[in-house]
Amino acid sequence: MTDTHHHAVGDEPGTDGGQSEEAVLVADEVSHAYGDLSVLEEVSVSLSAGEVVALVGPNGSGKTTLLRVLAGLLTPTAGGVSYRGPERNRERGYLPQQPAFRPGFSARETLAFYTSLVGGDPDELLDRVGLGEAGDRTVEALSGGMTRLLGIAQATVGNPPVLLFDEPGSGLDPGMRRQTWAVVGERAAAGAAVLLSTHDTLLAEQFADRVLLLGDGQLQADGSPAALTDEYDRDSLQSVFEAAVGGESGPVGSMGEST
Amino acid sequence: MSGEARQAVQAVLVRELLTVARSRAYLGLVAGVSLVAAGVLAAGGGVEVGYVPAAIDLLLPFELLVPAVAVALGYRTITDDVDRGELDVLETYPVPPWAYVLGVYAGRAIALVGALGVPLALAGLYLSTQSPPDPTTLATHSGVDSPVLFVRFVGLTLLYGLVALALTLAVSALAWSRRTAIVLAILLLGSVAVGIDLLLLRGFGAGWIADQQLTTALAASPASAYRGLVFETVLYVAFDSESGYAAPAASVAGLLAWLVAGLGLTVVGVTRRN
Repeated sequence: MTDTHHHAVGDEPGTDGGQSEEAVLVADEVSHAYGDLSVLEEVSVSLSAGEVVALVGPNGSGKTTLLRVLAGLLTPTAGGVSYRGPERNRERGYLPQQPAFRPGFSARETLAFYTSLVGGDPDELLDRVGLGEAGDRTVEALSGGMTRLLGIAQATVGNPPVLLFDEPGSGLDPGMRRQTWAVVGERAAAGAAVLLSTHDTLLAEQFADRVLLLGDGQLQADGSPAALTDEYDRDSLQSVFEAAVGGESGPVGSMGEST
Repeated sequence: MSGEARQAVQAVLVRELLTVARSRAYLGLVAGVSLVAAGVLAAGGGVEVGYVPAAIDLLLPFELLVPAVAVALGYRTITDDVDRGELDVLETYPVPPWAYVLGVYAGRAIALVGALGVPLALAGLYLSTQSPPDPTTLATHSGVDSPVLFVRFVGLTLLYGLVALALTLAVSALAWSRRTAIVLAILLLGSVAVGIDLLLLRGFGAGWIADQQLTTALAASPASAYRGLVFETVLYVAFDSESGYAAPAASVAGLLAWLVAGLGLTVVGVTRRN
């Protein structure tokens, strides 16, 4: 960790009004291994306030592991992660790949539990993800897509300056997937740095400011969708993805936890 | 404790209480304990005689029933939070592992006090409505009787339950799956109820524990410590010799040591998962 400058946005993410070049989260040559199995190899990533970064890679490429390392849930075996954003009681919001909640509680009560830890209004959070009408439903009665939206609402509790979403659009219908990206864009516009893993290169190309291509636990490419298509001389991000990391048709990698 | 940590403990505690309160299984548990207590008292006949005879009748079944209730209330609590990924999510909030454990324990402890305390309180109320002891029955059941003695029995039973609950949460935190949690909980139940006692008796039989050390050594077993304290502070009135059944100070220390060890192991288990 050599960079020591600190970013200062307002108390609410976004009081600086949008994208900033100052890094709020930096991973410096992060490696992680499960026993002898190397999962991440010297990955360096920097996230800036107000930007949406899509993490794209084949299944098993190490996306989930990278997100968990960045969230502070896994300790890297080499390298380090440093948070450089404003001081908050919650620095990083995290959406697991398969969000699940304690049964017997409504969606509103579930968020009320989390807001009781760092503040916030459950109803406002439900509206944020389009679940305003489903607040009284128990979490068991939510569809898979709604559960994921509830997970996204949970991740944004306390307006953390860094948001890490593990496949937020997975299993959602096109409408819900767009709703997810809308929430992501809104949070970034509010000043949060958002990193999300996805297999949807079309939406990533459309909505992400930057794309990280991960293959075999290594960062293969890092740049804006336009810069990557130029660099690889391709006409779409999907085509870049196939050229850079072999696309989805190859054998499933053995690098990550679950993706 | 900082305000943030206090808030975390309170939030987790309330969530645990709501979880238990909304569970039909909990009502079943209270009903089950009530039925066992009523059945034991009816069969033993102590309930018609007085408080101490009732405690005598309840003691042995409750040595097994109390850890069973603790296991039922706690063995899945932390394992389920891990399985759902909620422990990971909570790690992104200002909730230190010890605050999470304290909140879970406090919530489940209140539930345990309800599950054991309500049936025993009902038994006590029923006893208070009965006529004074029949002198002819005192020969088999009691000496001097008093509701205070029954209250002591209830207090010691709850302490025993709180110790068993702390150990159960440790199992829940250290288990790597729900299945292992069940297996470990059953092993814990056997160990707390009889296993440690058998080890100590084996040690006594083999000469590793001297005669004069036996009562102190028995304090190392939660069940024996509980039994010993009940004998020393409740049932002594029914026997010729008023003390010497157990080492009270060592028994209290033993129970508290198991309590602290259980909670400590739980914090270690939760921290290791983080």
